[in-house]
Amino acid sequence: MKKHHHIPPRFAEKILNQIIRPDLAEEVLGDLEEKFYATLVKRSSFRARLNYWYQVLNYLRPFAIRKRSGASHSNPIVMFSHNIKIARRSILKQKMYAAIKIGGFSIGIAACLLIALFIREELSYDKHYADGDNIYRLVGAYDEPGESWKGVTLPAIIKPLLEEGFPEIEKTGRLIIFDFFASGNNQFRPVNEMQNTYEEGFVYADPETLEILEIPMVYGYQTLALSEPNTLVISQKKADKYFPGENPVGRMIILNENESNPYKIGGVMENFPSNSHLQCDFILTLTGKEFWPGEQSDWNGYVYDSYLKLRPGSNPVDLEEKLLSIRDNHIVVDYESRGDQRAGDIKEYFSFQLQPVKDIYLRSDDILDNNVPHGDLKVVWVFGAIAVFILLLACINFINLSTAKSANRAKEVGLRKVVGSYRSGLVSQFMTESLVFSFISFIIGALLAWILLPYFNLLSGKSLVFPWSAWWLVPGFISSIVITGIMAGFYPALYLSAFKPIDVLKGKLSRGSSSSKMRGGMVIFQFTTSIVLMICTFITYQQMTFILNTKIGFDKEQVVMIQGANTLGKKRAAFKNELLQLSEVMTVTQSSYFPVSGTQRNGDSFWKEGRSKLDKGVGSQIWWVDQDYIPALGMKLVSGRNFSAEMASDSSAMIINQTMAKQLGLEDPVGERITVSWGRSWNVIGMVEDFHFESMKGDVEPLCLVFGQYSGSIVSVKVNTKDMAGTLASISRLWEEFMPAQPIRYAFLDERYARMYADVERTGKVFTAFAVLAIVVACLGLFALSAFMVEQRSKEISVRKVLGASLGSIFNLLTLNFLRLVLIAMVIAMPIGWYVMRKWLEDYANRIEITWEVFAITGIAVLLIALLTISSESIKAALINPAKKLRSE
Amino acid sequence: MKIGAFEELVLLAVGSLGENAYGVAVKELLKEKTGRTPSIGALHSALYRLEDKGCLNSSEGGATSERGGRRKKFYTLTAAGKNAIIDANRIRLQFSKNIEGLNLGLDES
Repeated sequence: MKKHHHIPPRFAEKILNQIIRPDLAEEVLGDLEEKFYATLVKRSSFRARLNYWYQVLNYLRPFAIRKRSGASHSNPIVMFSHNIKIARRSILKQKMYAAIKIGGFSIGIAACLLIALFIREELSYDKHYADGDNIYRLVGAYDEPGESWKGVTLPAIIKPLLEEGFPEIEKTGRLIIFDFFASGNNQFRPVNEMQNTYEEGFVYADPETLEILEIPMVYGYQTLALSEPNTLVISQKKADKYFPGENPVGRMIILNENESNPYKIGGVMENFPSNSHLQCDFILTLTGKEFWPGEQSDWNGYVYDSYLKLRPGSNPVDLEEKLLSIRDNHIVVDYESRGDQRAGDIKEYFSFQLQPVKDIYLRSDDILDNNVPHGDLKVVWVFGAIAVFILLLACINFINLSTAKSANRAKEVGLRKVVGSYRSGLVSQFMTESLVFSFISFIIGALLAWILLPYFNLLSGKSLVFPWSAWWLVPGFISSIVITGIMAGFYPALYLSAFKPIDVLKGKLSRGSSSSKMRGGMVIFQFTTSIVLMICTFITYQQMTFILNTKIGFDKEQVVMIQGANTLGKKRAAFKNELLQLSEVMTVTQSSYFPVSGTQRNGDSFWKEGRSKLDKGVGSQIWWVDQDYIPALGMKLVSGRNFSAEMASDSSAMIINQTMAKQLGLEDPVGERITVSWGRSWNVIGMVEDFHFESMKGDVEPLCLVFGQYSGSIVSVKVNTKDMAGTLASISRLWEEFMPAQPIRYAFLDERYARMYADVERTGKVFTAFAVLAIVVACLGLFALSAFMVEQRSKEISVRKVLGASLGSIFNLLTLNFLRLVLIAMVIAMPIGWYVMRKWLEDYANRIEITWEVFAITGIAVLLIALLTISSESIKAALINPAKKLRSE
Repeated sequence: MKIGAFEELVLLAVGSLGENAYGVAVKELLKEKTGRTPSIGALHSALYRLEDKGCLNSSEGGATSERGGRRKKFYTLTAAGKNAIIDANRIRLQFSKNIEGLNLGLDES
């Protein structure tokens, strides 16, 4: 009775059917089923089913399992090799379309790879510390509504304060990394050599800094290398340069010809990895260092960065809270003792933050630490997005072409279905095809990326290498090949395999047009992306030109800056006089401060005399310049007079810029007296028109110029010459006479100025490169689509021609459809581009307005490019002799 | 012709079932005569091996409902199969005779 209600487990049956040799199936399943019912009579249905399963599992013996070779139609390996054969044939049959698919794909993949390498590098910064989770940088944050800033520099005394009161802190190490006394750059020579060499990359650091930042030593010990006064650690690179093949520990070094103060090499460190936020070649010790009397214990020199290493398990948030005691007991007290009005604000708004070391490179946007190299998290995101978009464009080409060419494959699909192909088989056939495409493209793309990497490095300012030997390369590639292959092949595979054999074989299927809406949409998407990128490029370039050429308040042309001139010492005046003897030289000025990056900077608080206990101070820089500074740089005095070497009283004269006057609230500053936080006062004798001396991203900041003749490390020479090379030669000759032991080092003011905007320029170039790539990929797709359309309609065109259609009308017929798509893309892209670029421009205080010309020019350019792309095929079609096409019927 | 011990049993079972030797029947007979319950997989494996060796012939029979409409596969002994049984028996006997004090009980039967 039971046996009619129970059947053998169908799932087990199915498994067995999949696995065993088909010729055995009938007998085996028959026996199994008979046995099942036999068991059912005697035992429970559960036992019967269990027994069935047992028998099935027991059947999985070598003799019964399908063999791997043979002519079975459902054998996956055979099908796979068959599919690859078909893919190869379809590539060879349609060479142009295949080339476009693969070409577009390769370009997209190359771009993706490059960007992936870039992003990987950006994200890898400062991940190499063994104890990275406990290393922090101390940040001071001031957060008053309306005025907030974050800085990293604090006075020297911060170190003993941190070491005393906070058990969580294991070690504290300070670091000075901007041009300050001997940090920055110096003339360098081993004591036994005569010739000086200019070297950059000097910093000051505590011995503890070596330990905290886990700087690996080649010679010497982390703990000892900097423990004596006047010691330094040099990098392996520099050790090899100056002391090849020997251990230089203990050797003496002279900096800037200052023989009374030699340095001893205490150790050699390994070169910094390129992905470390700290990059330097010389670390001078802070042990026993006092830059001016009382410097180590007063609250004036805000120049030290501090790195902390916390004990394992301590909570940085709690520590931040505790650190407020330093604010209350020391900083505020210091402000109060000077009668500074800001003491109250400091107490209310200032706090300490601990920034994890791994965040320094990418997440320091709002922190003032100009001398630490930074990446831009935004750029990482934007690049990532661009990579994805370009790859999408390439995939779309693939999808569009595959579905457009579907008419050609439809008969194949129909026939396959008639002779018994399943849809799944067809899907896997088309997927295999797209995987083959993806594979070939990946190989080409990887090679392309490898070839282009040096150029990309130039563009991005990186030194990336292709990770041929990385363990993840092969699995990474394979998974990327599969993912891209599936992404590109999914839709075409489903689309192509869905044809109904009856329709196809009857010829009912309209020729590849049923998904033309979809294709149109994709073309629109491609062009939208390209146009947005073009707009971005365009506006970036406009902004850059604007910055580089706009009125900046001084004349940067034809100024040669001779650097390292501080070593001239007493010979400065003579050098200046000799220079002025040269006919091409107009003016010569000496200072350490110039309105370009890489020259000295400082900062202090200033008041109108007598107001220092009443008002908030104005933060300003104070630059020591000579009487020729303003004329040499072509700055304009708005009121008052320039410094004069003849007037002894000018040693306490000051010229301020307009912003300074405004912030001090002075309508007519000439004749006023100004006091600095450390007590000195000056008479204002003039006001100079605002000029840009920091990045043009911000507004002009307050600035005070004071008189200091024959000071500073840079001699700037304003020349008037058509023959710059000749002038440089005569200047160099003169320098050699004065300083035979020190090679001349010069720079052009305008080049240095441009370098401040290197990041803008870089962004511009990178955008250009990717915009070009995007438009190339999009055009490839458009070209292939139009070629296909022409091919499909060739008979129609011939008939029209026979009936008297003009060349123009045929051209219109073929192009207008596509142009319409491009126009729609334009309408979509322009607001997007406008919005994105307006956001970007908000970072700049001095920025261009986005004008309609940008859109007009981009629009016309895109239309022209699209038209050119389409027209070659269209014209060919329109010109063809109709007889040729119609002859065959 | 070498056959294994289990194969020999299967041959014997097929031979004694005559016209009616198919998978489940062989299995039942083996269980009845020897107490063994080989899995169907093991049994089929032996049957196919024997067929490959030429000891068995197979032919397909009619479908029955208890097999889900599938046909039975009937096996018959070939001459080679009979020889194999004889060979196996002879080897066994030769050995057995040499074992002292072993009474196979063949004389009485």
